[in-house]
Amino acid sequence: MKTRSAKPLRCLRLLSLVLPALVSAFGPAEATPQQKNTNEELLVVPGDAGHSGGRLVVSLRGEPKTLNPLIAADARSREVIGVMQADLVHINRATQLTEPALAKSWKISADGLEYTLVLRKGLRFSDGQALDADDVVFTFRVYLDESVHAPQRDLLIVGGKPIVVRKVDAQTVVFQLAKTYGVGERLFDGLAILPRHLLEKPYQEGKLGQIGTLATAAPQWAGMGPFRLKEYVAGQRLVLERNPYYWKTDAKGNRLPYLDELVFLFVPNADAQVLKFQSGETDVISQVSAENFSVLSRQQKSYAMTDAGPGLEYNFLFFNLNDAGEKTSPEMQRRQKWFREVKFRQAVSAAVDREAIVRLVYQGRGGGIWGLVAPGNRRWGDENLAHPARSLERARALLKEAGFSWSNGADGESVLQDADGKAVEFSILTSSSNAERAKMAALIQDDLKQIGMRVQVVSLEFRSLLDRVTQTKEYDACVMGIASFDADPNSDINVWLSSGGTHLWNPSQEHPGTPWEAEIDRLIGEQMSARTFEQRKKLYDRAQEILAEYQPMIFLASPDILVGAKNSVGNFHPAVLEPYVLWNVEQLYLKSSPENGAR
Amino acid sequence: MRLRRSVAKWLVVLGVLHGIVVCAGFFAPYDPAEQDRKSPYLPPMRVHVVDEEGHFHARPFVYAFRLRQGTFDQYEEDAARSYPLRFFVRGARYRLLGILPSRLHLFGAEDLRIYLLGTDAYGRDQLSRLVFGGQVSLLAGLLGAGITLSLGLCIGAVAGYYGGWRDDVLMRVAELFLALPWLYLLFAVRAFLPLTVRPLAAFFLIVAVIGEVGWARPARLVRAVVLSAKERDFVRAARGFGAKDVYLLRWHILPETGSVLLTQAAILVPQYVLAEMTLSFLGLGVPEPVPSWGNLLSSLQQYSVLVSYWWMYLPTLAMVPFFLGYLGLASSLQERGPAYKIERRSLGSLT
Amino acid sequence: MMRYFLRRLGHAFLLIFGVSILAFLFTTLAPGNYFDEMRLNPQIAPETVAALRAQYQLDRPLVVRYASWVNSLIHGEMGFSFAYNSPVAPLLLVRARNTLLLTVTATVLAWGIALPAGVWSAERVGRLPDRLISWGTAALLVIPDLALALGLLVLAVRTGWFPTGGMASVDFEDFSLLHKLRDLALHLALPILALVLSALPLLVRHVRAAVAEVLGAPFMLAAQGHGIPRRTLLYRYALPAAANPLISLFGFSIGALLSGSLLIEVVMSWPGLGPFLLEAILSRDLYVVIGGVLFSTVFLVTGNFLADMLLYWADPRIRTKSGAR
Repeated sequence: MKTRSAKPLRCLRLLSLVLPALVSAFGPAEATPQQKNTNEELLVVPGDAGHSGGRLVVSLRGEPKTLNPLIAADARSREVIGVMQADLVHINRATQLTEPALAKSWKISADGLEYTLVLRKGLRFSDGQALDADDVVFTFRVYLDESVHAPQRDLLIVGGKPIVVRKVDAQTVVFQLAKTYGVGERLFDGLAILPRHLLEKPYQEGKLGQIGTLATAAPQWAGMGPFRLKEYVAGQRLVLERNPYYWKTDAKGNRLPYLDELVFLFVPNADAQVLKFQSGETDVISQVSAENFSVLSRQQKSYAMTDAGPGLEYNFLFFNLNDAGEKTSPEMQRRQKWFREVKFRQAVSAAVDREAIVRLVYQGRGGGIWGLVAPGNRRWGDENLAHPARSLERARALLKEAGFSWSNGADGESVLQDADGKAVEFSILTSSSNAERAKMAALIQDDLKQIGMRVQVVSLEFRSLLDRVTQTKEYDACVMGIASFDADPNSDINVWLSSGGTHLWNPSQEHPGTPWEAEIDRLIGEQMSARTFEQRKKLYDRAQEILAEYQPMIFLASPDILVGAKNSVGNFHPAVLEPYVLWNVEQLYLKSSPENGAR
Repeated sequence: MRLRRSVAKWLVVLGVLHGIVVCAGFFAPYDPAEQDRKSPYLPPMRVHVVDEEGHFHARPFVYAFRLRQGTFDQYEEDAARSYPLRFFVRGARYRLLGILPSRLHLFGAEDLRIYLLGTDAYGRDQLSRLVFGGQVSLLAGLLGAGITLSLGLCIGAVAGYYGGWRDDVLMRVAELFLALPWLYLLFAVRAFLPLTVRPLAAFFLIVAVIGEVGWARPARLVRAVVLSAKERDFVRAARGFGAKDVYLLRWHILPETGSVLLTQAAILVPQYVLAEMTLSFLGLGVPEPVPSWGNLLSSLQQYSVLVSYWWMYLPTLAMVPFFLGYLGLASSLQERGPAYKIERRSLGSLT
Repeated sequence: MMRYFLRRLGHAFLLIFGVSILAFLFTTLAPGNYFDEMRLNPQIAPETVAALRAQYQLDRPLVVRYASWVNSLIHGEMGFSFAYNSPVAPLLLVRARNTLLLTVTATVLAWGIALPAGVWSAERVGRLPDRLISWGTAALLVIPDLALALGLLVLAVRTGWFPTGGMASVDFEDFSLLHKLRDLALHLALPILALVLSALPLLVRHVRAAVAEVLGAPFMLAAQGHGIPRRTLLYRYALPAAANPLISLFGFSIGALLSGSLLIEVVMSWPGLGPFLLEAILSRDLYVVIGGVLFSTVFLVTGNFLADMLLYWADPRIRTKSGAR
């Protein structure tokens, strides 16, 4: 009933969209967006040729906060910004390789310090204004301006110095690096090119932060992405319309995107997303948990669920190896003596039942991991890394070697004690908002009970947990997870480096605290400026092996990327990189076949 | 007489129910924290007396469940072998009433773990968790409600009886208490507690804090009743005879608040038991693997559990008798109230 | 009378002042701050986070922050949201409106059901209808609000009769007025049902208890003896006599208009204060939380004030006393 009554409406709506476009075609002498212009160098993308029109509805877990990439700090805002902005060079989420975007080509000088990027001709922002090298230079000036506090800034400091950006001509920009950079042109991925004509004035006035809030954004904002803002209803939804100036076409020469509208519905949690998808109110869904995936899979009729394979999230257990010096309580010192013992950590790793974690937490849709590079990362995994099976015997042997022994507890259970006869008892922190990690912690607790360790699981609300781990450093151990942004391991650089803020077991060290951390620092530093993939891979492999030996992070498991889409959505090719289903949103289209009607 | 009997009836019901919870170790077949990782989300086993061939057995028995190949949570009954139920068996260690070590359990089976209420995500016995869970939850509920009501009664009575500036101050403080963002205080309390404090102890501390914070509502309710009760003729008469404030409050005014208080109590206990779920969500609840009613129910808040595993609802059904018991007792006591009062009133006029 | 009103108004301002100070204190005591999550982003340096904290004055002393907050309150902004990078007041107002739409309807309905149900049950104490209501309220007490709301959503998915949460269809703007109203009503139905069901046990129990107590009183027997019809007896005589605790309860209902539906809003994706404040609480968007607290304080004070006025109006005994003073 509902769909039938909606159809005429949709036709009307289509008309109302097309009409103004027609009118404007006879308007100003400027190149009209719908016509192809010989001065435009459009990017032709492969894939099924779809047909234009229609609306795709997607749910967003929470509200986006801003459309301004300079201040966006949360995942939702980034997801929305992702379809409204574009970068110079883009990482193809499916192949995990770079490809031309706003820059049609690039050249790296022989010494690896100079990147020359050539922009496409005829590029226009979503408000119709032309984009040229000045916009690019402006963009990077803003990103690098310390007073703007853009989160992008830290990416653009190479070898301790900011990248220097220079305009050569209207189409050519040169980026000068202080040091060779192994990541190469991947650097440019995700760095949105900003409209100078709109932002120059607020930038001079120091008001960049106030621009692009959702309530006021419409006239103040323009981007290079496939969609632009149409309507925002606070707390409910964000409606985007197709950007008529978008710079991609399909093989047949139709300008992309196919969709007329992209709607983000704001829902507060994952279950609400699932319900909306199941009832047919949304067209695609991503980041589905294994439990919900099996619920949705049970009755696929008008939609299909896909297991896109292992992703880039890695979950791990780590112990508090911070050295707080004299402030440490004697109690804490005693525990840290255990934690600092490599064999203790190796024993914990040997006792953890990764198979059970994968089965009970991910219902088998995931895999155990033994190193920092997640299995979804096709090029960077270390084939030589050992994957030892769970072995309580090995765990016991390791503990015995390290001077631990067992005694009988009050209720007849065996209790592990250290060389001084103190029972081994500690707590593991988990975030109360993440059910999966809480489950892992409960399983680990039971695993470790079998080698006599008494473990308390303390679940804390996330900020409280972060405060303990990164600020007060009053904790024993913690289960956490990180999802890498990119398949290049450099996106996790601050986990590797002892000076990094996410080197969680002992963050932001001035000097590496242990010889093996120093060695990892050296290897990572070396690969930063190494120029070939093979060189970098070798260095990273070595670093991974050191990590696996010293076990500062005990790697647990990595979930598959689980997604779903209605059968009517064409060109749906989920990727294991963010944004899992909307990465090729400009190519998504709605099939107008009988299946579409049979919801 | 009839009324007194109904009170006794409810007391017996509640006594039996609480008895089961207190002696959880005996009634629960297994250790509530023990994981059976091969059997996550196992449905409740059916107790049979008639086997596949149609033969009747005097001793009830169960069949084992086998995981269907290639699935995570699909089981089928395997009638190849029957496992008779045994009573008064020896099993997991526990301490009766927290002191007496024992291994005696009401029932069990040989060579098979039996799950009469199914299992949870870790393959833990739901029945054992339900019975043990009552210990933490009822204690938390009674503790929280007790603190709240006694504070509410005292403050409400003072505010209503004395009136004037005392009423103003107390009621404004009550509003202050109702308005403040207590969650943040709880976060802070949890943050300042060292992790060496046992998580369960931390939970009870937080329940006590909530109990202390919650007095404002009952206080306002009590005050409303006291306001009018103190102007009743018999109270005025008693005052005229020279009765002191404390005497008046104790014998004439507070009895009037009985029905409001009892109703509040009967509602607050379940509310505090369930409040734990919200607390768990914020990381302030009962820690794993300790079972509690709150964390048994909280799995129902997940959509996937709600639609996939019907036996996860069973704990809810089991809790209804408890709360019904409280409600029943409250209303029986209430029915007793007026009769008692009339008696007292007539006595009052005699003296 | 006027003096009493003014005095209460003065108290209300004092209260709001007190609440704002304590709310500031509490939110500072809780561990962590808004920018902490950035620390987990491997691509952002700790210095950047520190600079952001400084930019938003999070490193300044509490007194300074309070003063600048009061200043922005006077300008009608109620502080600044870190997440939305904009003043708090407009953010809150939009969502508070949605919440009120939901809760006012639900409160009216809940009282409309609870009063007759409670009276009906009190009249038949111990008999079957009373038992049934007892069982029903006990069951409702045990079912967690959230599970109840989720269950209703499952119903919506299975039957397709109702939308699964949210406040409006995507096409809402294009609908005709009638169609809009129908759409809104459909979206309102389930959250309201959840709210009413979760509020009922408390209300029904209290109404029943209060009325049952009055029914046994001598004046009721006398009235019955005079042959006054049952309905008049129950609603004109018994209910007003039993009103005192109910009026306080009604005050709470008003006070809870902004804060009572938060969790159900989260489950039902209602675009009100619930999801908004929950996210702000968890992400430590302090001024949003403080703003939300102040908003609901205003309602709370109003509710209690109304309750006190009603008490004064409904109970002659209190009235004569206050009049005498």
